[in-house]
Formats: sequence, structure tokens, C-alpha cells
Amino acid sequence: MARGVSPLETMPVSRFARQIRWSLIVLTGIVLAFLYLPVAFLILFSFEEAATPGFPITGLTLHWYQVLAADSSIQKALFTSAEIAVVVTILATIIGTMVAFPLVRGGVRAPGTLRLLFTMPIMIPGVLIGIGLLIFFRQALHLQLGLSTVVAGHLVFTTPFVVLIVAARLQGFDRRLEWAAADLGASPWRTLRYIVLPLIAPAILAGALLCVTLSIDEFVITFFTIGPQQTLPLYIYTQIKFGVTPEVNAIATVILCATLLAFALGSVLLSGGRRLRRRARA
Amino acid sequence: MTAETLDGAASAPLAGVPNSLVRRLGRALPALPGLAVLLFLFLVPMAIMFVFSFWRTNNDFRLVPDWNLDNYARFFLEGTYLRTFLKTLVMGSLVTLATLLIGIPFAYFLVRYTNRWVQRAILLAVIVPFWTSYLVRVYAWQAILGEHGALNQFLMGIGLINQPSTLFNYDDPGVFVVLTYIYFPFAVLALYAALEKFDFTQLNAAQDLGARPDQAFRHILLPQIRAGIITACIFVFIPILGEFLTPTLVGGAQSSLIANLVVNYLRQAQFAEGGALAIIIAAFVTVVMIVFRKSLRVEDVVTSG
Repeated sequence: MARGVSPLETMPVSRFARQIRWSLIVLTGIVLAFLYLPVAFLILFSFEEAATPGFPITGLTLHWYQVLAADSSIQKALFTSAEIAVVVTILATIIGTMVAFPLVRGGVRAPGTLRLLFTMPIMIPGVLIGIGLLIFFRQALHLQLGLSTVVAGHLVFTTPFVVLIVAARLQGFDRRLEWAAADLGASPWRTLRYIVLPLIAPAILAGALLCVTLSIDEFVITFFTIGPQQTLPLYIYTQIKFGVTPEVNAIATVILCATLLAFALGSVLLSGGRRLRRRARA
Repeated sequence: MTAETLDGAASAPLAGVPNSLVRRLGRALPALPGLAVLLFLFLVPMAIMFVFSFWRTNNDFRLVPDWNLDNYARFFLEGTYLRTFLKTLVMGSLVTLATLLIGIPFAYFLVRYTNRWVQRAILLAVIVPFWTSYLVRVYAWQAILGEHGALNQFLMGIGLINQPSTLFNYDDPGVFVVLTYIYFPFAVLALYAALEKFDFTQLNAAQDLGARPDQAFRHILLPQIRAGIITACIFVFIPILGEFLTPTLVGGAQSSLIANLVVNYLRQAQFAEGGALAIIIAAFVTVVMIVFRKSLRVEDVVTSG
């Protein structure tokens, strides 16, 4: 195979190029091990026989998963978490998507300031939001804390994520498609329903998916805004804090697998959307 | 395409419609529910916390409008608060530095040395933990750092120590390791997004013109990924100012960070005192965000998942 000499190949190559390359490969390997080793040990310990997880491994068992399956307080906590996540996701997705339109397409006075304002709840540590809401609900409004206050707390930080994700998709939206639809006699509503929404659907879906995981996982804000109820993270927290049982390892492993599944599902849906868009553009 | 041109183009086909107040209101209308959430669940609570921070909690744990500056004075006068705050800043800086020192070569390797598929796979491997439960990730470290954890067993196995060390489980080094672990993915995402946009032939050009590799790196590459580095710093440093879980779960009594003190106040129903401390942290965060708002690329981190 004859090939011309690319100008890049005549460039001076560092004498240490090989060493640099290998040290970078080793670094990447170590980093990946660093990221996954704790998780691997966690999964291993969830099958450990002894009641105090640790080395050496005495034997493997499914006992803790059976305990988990029989534990009604976990199921109740899981149900509460799911309940909150569903309400939060529906509200945050709708509200966030609506905000993205004026933010990208004009209609608000200072989109830059608004954008910064909407990134604040993402950046401000959750503990501050949680404490602010606790003081607001209890000391200013004198409300009883409960699931609705948790939903309110989750809305604060999930809505901005939807706004940013949908706005990013809208930014690259080819508006000529809408004008074509309008030109052909479609009402604004029909254009929105049949042209705009289907095209930004992957972003909306990604935002919704992120909301579900964020809400199910949220501990800090829930901790400050909840009443007597218990969500899954709160349950895990009490388990970790007061009395380590291998059951926690089992819950953690199940959560891990569930998140991975949701993540895989999400990426399949998203890449499907991406492919569709590419086809639409072609 | 910028927002202005989009906006201008948007009104073109509707040129006949007068740009009346009604029309403008109509276009801003969809933002209202979101603004309401932002206003009533974020800005107003923060403002109320600010007001209450000048009040006092009386003996019945009630807030009374007895205006004073004591809650703020305490922060500066009583050593514990200032010391813990400084310690939090040091911890945050160390973790940020660690994530940058690991993250920059890591992201550089991804962009420069791997093909598209490997790149996507490794990036995915970095993002996945970011999607799993925070509590689970912190807890997972107990399997390694705990008293019967892998690290102690390993160190005992090679004969370096005789009995399980509590250095990693109940002290600052453990908190440092876990925080680095938790916030590393954010840094990588920000750095990767910046490096991906960089045209690496510029480095060759610089060297062609006589620059040493380190000069090319410092004067050509670094300035162009500056925004990515700042974003990475902010995404690692700021959350640590609000970290109270990791110190609680893997640290000991001595590893409290500033947010732990806020939470302690709240536990004792001292809303005014805790509120003042929270306001100090929030003010610090807000200033950092406003100073770096031009370089902060939240979307790079948020939308890459």
C-alpha cells in the first residue's frame, strides 16, 4: 500500500513518546481500578456469609438477598422513593421544558442572567437548599413536613437539569422546519406537537431519566424536608450509620444494577433519537 | 448561531404581527412555572434564611426578631468556625488539585491516544458511577478503608502494620480519598469537553516554530482549555463546601467540615445560628460563581450523561 508521507509524520517526535504513552495507559488503568474497585468489593461482600463483612471471605451465600426480599420496611421506603420520583419527574420535565423555550428563543429580558439563576440550584450545595427549605417551611410557613415538601425540595434542583438539557437541544434546532410547517398551514400548536416535540423528545427523555435517578438518589434535601416517612436513601443512611449489616451491601448491589439498567436503557433511547435526527438531517 | 440571530430570524415570518406587549408576554409565559419554582422554592427561602440569620433563637427554640450580628460575629471570633472553614477550603483545594492532576492526563490520553470507540467506552465507565447512588458509593469505600477492609488486610498481609489502622476509616485521609473518588467524574467530563475541542495540530505547529514540548503545553494548550479547567475546579470545589455526609460516614469526630457544623446547629433547632453559617457558605459560592460565570460550562458536565 503506497502512502504519501503526511506532514505530521515529519514532525519531531519526543524521545520519550513511548514512555509517555505507556505511563498514560497505566494511569488510565489505575484510575479505572480506583473507580470500580470499591463497587467490586461491595458486590463481593453482598454475597459474604459472615454477619460482619470483611476479609477473609468465609463463604458465599444469597442469604442477604432473601433477607432483603422479606424486609417490608425496605419495600415501603422504596415505594415512597418511587412515588416521590414519579411526581417530581413529571412536574420537573414539564416545567423545565417550558422554560427552555423562552430561554433559547427569546421572550425573556435577560437570558444570560436567567441561565445563571437556573444553574444556581445545581451548583449550590444541596445542604444549603435543604436547610433553606426547612427554615422556610417550618419557621416561616409553619407547614407540616411530608412528602409534598420533599417533592418541592426535589423540584428545586431537578428542574434546572431539564432546562439545561432541553435548552442545549433547542439551541441546535433547525427552525426552518417549523416555518415550513407553518407555511403549509399548520397551527402553532400542531407544529409544536408534530414537529418540535418529536425532534426534541430525546432531550426531554434524557432530562426525565436524569430526574428519576437524581430524585431516587437524593439524600440531603430529602433529609431536611421530610416528615416521619422514610425514603430508600434515608433507610440506607440509618443502616450505614447505626449497625452495618451485609443487607446494606445487598441493597446497594440491587440499586447499582437497577441504575445500570436504567442507564443502558437511557443511552439506547438517546442513541436511537440521535440516529433518527441524523436521518432527518440527511 | 447566537441567540440574537435565532431570535431575529424567528420573528421574520411573523413580521406582520405587531410586537406588542401581549405577544411578548405570550412568549415569556412558558417560563412562568419555572420562575415560580426558582423564586418560591429557592430565592425566597434563601432570603428568609438571610433575614432569620440576624434574629435570635430563644430558649423555647423559637425565632424572635431580636436583630443582631452575633451569629456572624461568632463565625469570626470563635476559633472553631473559622478553623473548620479554613480546613474545608484546604480539603477542597487538595481534592480539586488531585482531580486535576489525575484528570488532565486522563482526559488528554482519552482525546489524543484512543480511537472513538475506546474513548466512548472509557468515558461511559467514568460517567456510570456518577449515575449511581451517592450513599452507595461512599459506603462502598468501607469495604476497602474499613477496619476489616481490603486495605488493612493487605497492609497486614505484607507485614507493614500489625493491627488494623483507623487512619483511613476515621480520619481526614479517608475523607480525602472518598471525596476525590466522588468528584473525579465531574472533573473528567469538564476537562474532556474542553480538550475535545482543542486542535492538536497547534502543538505541532508550536514545536515546529521552536517551542519545547513543555512550552507548547503551557502557552498553547493550557490557555485554550482554561474554561474546562475552571469548570472542573468549580464542580469539585463548591460541592465540598457543602459536604457533611462523607465526613460523617467515613470520617471521625475530628474530620468535620464546615457543613457538619451547620447541620449540628440545625439538629439543635438553632435556626438563626445555622442559617448565618449557611448564608456565609452560600455567599462564598455565589461570589465564586459570579466571578467565573464566563468560564463556567455547566452544560459540558450536565448534558454529557
